[in-house]
Amino acid sequence: MIGMKRRRLRAAEIAPLGDAGLLVRFGTELSDEANQAASNFARRLGRDPIAGVLEVVPSLVSVLVRYDPARLSFQGLAGELSLRMRGDKASDPSHMHAIPVRFDGEDLVEVATALKLSVGEFVAAHNEQPLRVLTTGFAPGFVYCGLHADNLVLPRRSSVRQRVVAGSVLFAAGQTAIAATDLPTGWHVIGHTEFRNFDPSANPPTVLRAGDLVQFRALA
Amino acid sequence: MTAELRIVRAGPLCTIQDDGREGLLAQGISASGPMDRAGHRLAGHLAGAPGSDCIEITRAGLEIEIIAGPLTLGWAGGAFTVSIDGGSAVWPGCAVLKAGERLSITPGPSGNYGYLRFGARLDLPPVMGSLATNTRAQLGGLDGRPIRDGDILRFKGHGVDPVQVQVPETPSGPIRFVWGIHAQHFSSVVRERFMSQNFRITPMMDRMGVRLADEASVFSGMSNLSLVSDPILAGDIQILGDGTPIVLMRDHQPTGGYPRIGTVIAADLDRFAQLRPGEAVAFTPVSVEHAHRMLRSGPA
Repeated sequence: MIGMKRRRLRAAEIAPLGDAGLLVRFGTELSDEANQAASNFARRLGRDPIAGVLEVVPSLVSVLVRYDPARLSFQGLAGELSLRMRGDKASDPSHMHAIPVRFDGEDLVEVATALKLSVGEFVAAHNEQPLRVLTTGFAPGFVYCGLHADNLVLPRRSSVRQRVVAGSVLFAAGQTAIAATDLPTGWHVIGHTEFRNFDPSANPPTVLRAGDLVQFRALA
Repeated sequence: MTAELRIVRAGPLCTIQDDGREGLLAQGISASGPMDRAGHRLAGHLAGAPGSDCIEITRAGLEIEIIAGPLTLGWAGGAFTVSIDGGSAVWPGCAVLKAGERLSITPGPSGNYGYLRFGARLDLPPVMGSLATNTRAQLGGLDGRPIRDGDILRFKGHGVDPVQVQVPETPSGPIRFVWGIHAQHFSSVVRERFMSQNFRITPMMDRMGVRLADEASVFSGMSNLSLVSDPILAGDIQILGDGTPIVLMRDHQPTGGYPRIGTVIAADLDRFAQLRPGEAVAFTPVSVEHAHRMLRSGPA
């Protein structure tokens, strides 16, 4: 199985996304390998930029590359990208961020019960390992972190809450997400944090990048 | 002397825009900017605008009164009706207005978005390098909100020489697109019908996206695909779970997991944005290389 995934990774696929963008896809479903390949490749493009590329956006299993069609053709850019997929596979050292969380979310008891754990056991299991920032970009400063072990996987809620507040710590699909702005979500709210990954007056406006590590800590 | 104007009447969802804040998709912020870039550019030439800031006017129009002047104004984009103190003027056009004079923009025969630009800079604080209002993230412009009756806008600096430009003829014909990242998930029959059938613009349209009516049921009965989320760009044509096609526009969501059959090419997104609810629209595919050739040979 791992061998299959590796083979798929070698054949990363480059597809046009309109006439001024393309998508480098490392997989068509979420896997740890495809996710790491995407964030590593985006970092590689940051270290070794291509003239005419306007923006590099890592996502769960793909990287969007926006380019200036006056300076780059699709084929020319695809060639440059393929060159950068070979050779140097070194990744940047990942930054570790400690995120203190009050585990007081309205869905916390329900989540623990559904996983057949006490609240204390759930919080301990949730915080046991650092998680990787799988992707950003869903909303300003929003991050998805994961992946949790198989015993911490729950589907989303059956209904969407029209608004959870900024700082809500969300849980579903084997992942923990942090909302940096008020937003609607179908994820379970398990806690709240003072940490805000979005400050429009700062440059850059966010702190966490795809591939960074996050260690959640429970506040008493 | 610094110029100043008051918004006497603003239609819903008129916003402050400029060229937009590109480069922040990874931070979860789409670029925003004018829905009709060519109309925006033309209004700037007419006004002798020193920057790219503007008021984007929606179909119901806008009325302003100059409080302190003089102020040079240029207007273009779509086809609106315009008058100065009750006397009719031409669209697109320009004028120098004095204190007390009123400019009234009312609905015209076609288009959804008009642009009012100025021979001075709007005196507003940039957010992440731009004045553009992002209606989804609620930032930029006037505290991230649309323009309201009674708003006061102040200006600073001077204009540049207006540029006399020929108004380019709006091309007609089908909207051109590049096949999308999920095109292979659609059967050849569906792809063929997507190219041959007409769709209709619905009233469910804003700066985030335009929903289309699929009267020929091209996408009905599609199985509900569960796809991993990928980044989105303006022009992406995604098909919702119930078969509704939606074209994502300048304030689009930054990522999405609905299948995308295609992406409208940059050269055609302006005129797509100006199509009104009820109008028919057809799509025709082009290669990326063909789209690039058109960008190089088209107007700068």
